[in-house]
Amino acid sequence: MNAVQHRAVPENVQAVATLLASCDRAREKVQVAGGGTLSGMGYPPERLDVTLSTAALTGIVANERADLVVAAQAGTPIRDIANLLAVQSQFVPFDAPHAQYATLGGTLAAGWLGPRRHHYGRLRDYLIGSTIVLADGTVARAGGMVVKNVAGYDMSRLYVGSFGTLGVLVQANLKTTPRPPHARLFLAPLPEETRDRACAQLSALRVTPAAAFWVHGFNAIDGDDGDEGRILALLEGSDALLERATLELRSALGRAGVPETHVIDAGAHEGFERIVDAYVGCVGQRSVTYRLYPPPDAAFSCALRLHELVHRFALRRETIVDVMNGDVVLRVSDLDAHAFGTKIEAFDDALHAAEPGAQIVAGDHPSRPYLRVWGAPPPGIERMRELKVRFDPNRTLNPGCFIGGI
Amino acid sequence: MLRDRLVEALGSDAVKTAPEDLAVYAFDAYTDGGLPSAVVLPSSTRDVSAIVKIARDCGEPIVARGAGTGLCGGAVPLAGGIVISFARMNRVLDLDERNRRARVQPGLINLALSREVANLGLFYAPDPSSQLISTIGGNIATNAGGPHCLSYGTTINHVLGLEIVDAAGDVFETSIDVAGYDLTAAFVGSEGTLGIVTSAWVRLMALPESVRVWVAAFDDIDSASEAVSAIIAAGILPTALEMMDVVITRAVEAAFHAGYPTDAAAVLLIENAGFDEDVEASESAIHTIAVAHGARSWRSARTKGERDALWAGRKSAAGATGRIAPNYYTQDVCVPRSRLPQALRAVGEAAHENGITVGNVFHAGDGNLHPLLMYDKRDRKQVAAVIETGNQILQCAIDLGGTISGEHGIGWEKRDAMTRVYSTADLAVMARVRDVFDPMRMLNPEKIFPAGARCPEVAPP
Repeated sequence: MNAVQHRAVPENVQAVATLLASCDRAREKVQVAGGGTLSGMGYPPERLDVTLSTAALTGIVANERADLVVAAQAGTPIRDIANLLAVQSQFVPFDAPHAQYATLGGTLAAGWLGPRRHHYGRLRDYLIGSTIVLADGTVARAGGMVVKNVAGYDMSRLYVGSFGTLGVLVQANLKTTPRPPHARLFLAPLPEETRDRACAQLSALRVTPAAAFWVHGFNAIDGDDGDEGRILALLEGSDALLERATLELRSALGRAGVPETHVIDAGAHEGFERIVDAYVGCVGQRSVTYRLYPPPDAAFSCALRLHELVHRFALRRETIVDVMNGDVVLRVSDLDAHAFGTKIEAFDDALHAAEPGAQIVAGDHPSRPYLRVWGAPPPGIERMRELKVRFDPNRTLNPGCFIGGI
Repeated sequence: MLRDRLVEALGSDAVKTAPEDLAVYAFDAYTDGGLPSAVVLPSSTRDVSAIVKIARDCGEPIVARGAGTGLCGGAVPLAGGIVISFARMNRVLDLDERNRRARVQPGLINLALSREVANLGLFYAPDPSSQLISTIGGNIATNAGGPHCLSYGTTINHVLGLEIVDAAGDVFETSIDVAGYDLTAAFVGSEGTLGIVTSAWVRLMALPESVRVWVAAFDDIDSASEAVSAIIAAGILPTALEMMDVVITRAVEAAFHAGYPTDAAAVLLIENAGFDEDVEASESAIHTIAVAHGARSWRSARTKGERDALWAGRKSAAGATGRIAPNYYTQDVCVPRSRLPQALRAVGEAAHENGITVGNVFHAGDGNLHPLLMYDKRDRKQVAAVIETGNQILQCAIDLGGTISGEHGIGWEKRDAMTRVYSTADLAVMARVRDVFDPMRMLNPEKIFPAGARCPEVAPP
């Protein structure tokens, strides 16, 4: 890395374009920084000259309340957008960890997948328009402010999950949706012997929860249920629907042998957000968190295989299984950073031998850059590399941060 | 030479070159194109790969074709080339009930998938009006919409991964559940210009427990469109919110007796589906807004039969206009939903000014207009008037902050209009994507990108 790194905080699109064009010409490498909440994803840049912060690119650009459309600059904190929409009885299922710091641009660029996506759809499907600045300073717009648009390629969605390697997102236009009027968090202990049946029951529910998790460790998100783990389910909708969902959940879990359940109405969303925050939470410098995406019916068997593996390496483990989508979040740690460091690389090898797609979403340990943080490159990686060449031939943006060395 | 090689690779049964066969593939639901050099009907991904390699060797462009129901000339060859028809690749390959997904071949008819999974309590949500004949491959190419997009989203929201044959004949897969660029998103809606989809994983949804359909009648179009804007502004997103004007309801009733009032200037067809409690409660909220905006009658479909009849009428509306004029042209624009009243007024004025009969039948809740312009294509003056009217409607949508296509695509028809909504830089960025997948412009050439776009397209980045 260079001895002198420069931090730039451009205040508008034109300033971003000028900065990038000049860096690109000078062959300087640029890292794009949002709120830093997902800094545990991706590799560090292979070289870094300028950090481009979106901290001054904030604010709502358009709030078309009657159209259920909102547009904001990339550096706008997710919480600000969510609060604005909430006042209008609208929402977008961002489900971003640490929403007070997470930015719109960062959340989109990281392709963050939230737990409510099975219910409300993916964040990318709310993106109806974008403005991006390419490495050479080209400012390009895609889509617009209408909810249906098939004029040309869907460039906006292509930028989602591109990790800032195709261009710097400076504005995103989103469609919004009516906010469910009520929310309830449903909690129950989940003893080992009831787990399989309980999850089968959950996935067969008529009124599906907006999100449902089995949490083991993570202090079972604020309610320590010993070693059993807990089921936490977020119910959203009208009062009448919540009542019915609660009854259905209770009886389904009862049939599975789950002994007791309770519900929280005040603070249900806060409870949900603490679970999402845990996805990227670190235990000092002695943890790494993996995220895997098996189909829902394979999630528990996947988690159990991982547990055996963790046991073999004598690491500590904490797990969240997103019952509705199938995601498995596994945090491995050890008592001290040194002990962790001696094990984690071998564990990472073994994990990827079994689960090639496992990604790392959090972890401050110095070994992290040497792990397979994106998992195995997907089919199509060669085309992805070619895309990178077309968009950023000098490898100016986030060089080496993305999958397959992109 | 071309024919010999294709026959050698696929067998004579899969290759058509007789003029009377080729003529069938020279048009879609928009207009005539040119005759292809050959039409091939592959049965497998391997066949498609072989066709692409032969086409490359022979310098023939390729146009992939589903059912040919496209409304913008996207599936027609313009001068020679090979048309790949997916009529024989029309099966469900995998059905994963527990994870609610299916892998299908591109030639599978949209509605056939929903019918196949109905006994599992599932359905495939995107429902273009052509769903009785249009294919999932074609729907993917155009990112097709439909009335129920209002709550379920367009095709892109329902595609989980693709198998693609690229312009070199190589096969690769995409998935939205792996790290890396979202190639699935790039391909859906790319109108066959980036690669050829040979199979797709699509999302299935649970059939709703309760479905209600209502018809609200209005004495003028303005009131009906204001009611739509008000329903959306109130934060109510029904499953579908469609509008038809009197020109359309009269044609539909004459043809199908679907159950629409024929003495109202405009009707709204409103569907809400979901859980009993919510659907029940939504009726009074929507009804109140409709009445406040001048709805003079409100009818609830009592039976599944009544609901189905109303929907069948709606989805057959374009065909019903055959009673009004020998030909019709469907414009497809989308505007911000609060601008619907202005957009509809402008449509009426443009049609009046040019002496054209217009019928409106469209996805009002999405702001997605479909004015049907009636004409007789044997009369040159009428043809010119229709073109002018369509053009004025396009410009009006742009002026209102809208787009030149909400769901039908750009194809050949609207490619030159792309410069009216995108800058040269915007288009050049799209062309960078195309450079990766089809650098030689062999796949559906002359579509999407404006004529003469080649220069900025290949300008060095």
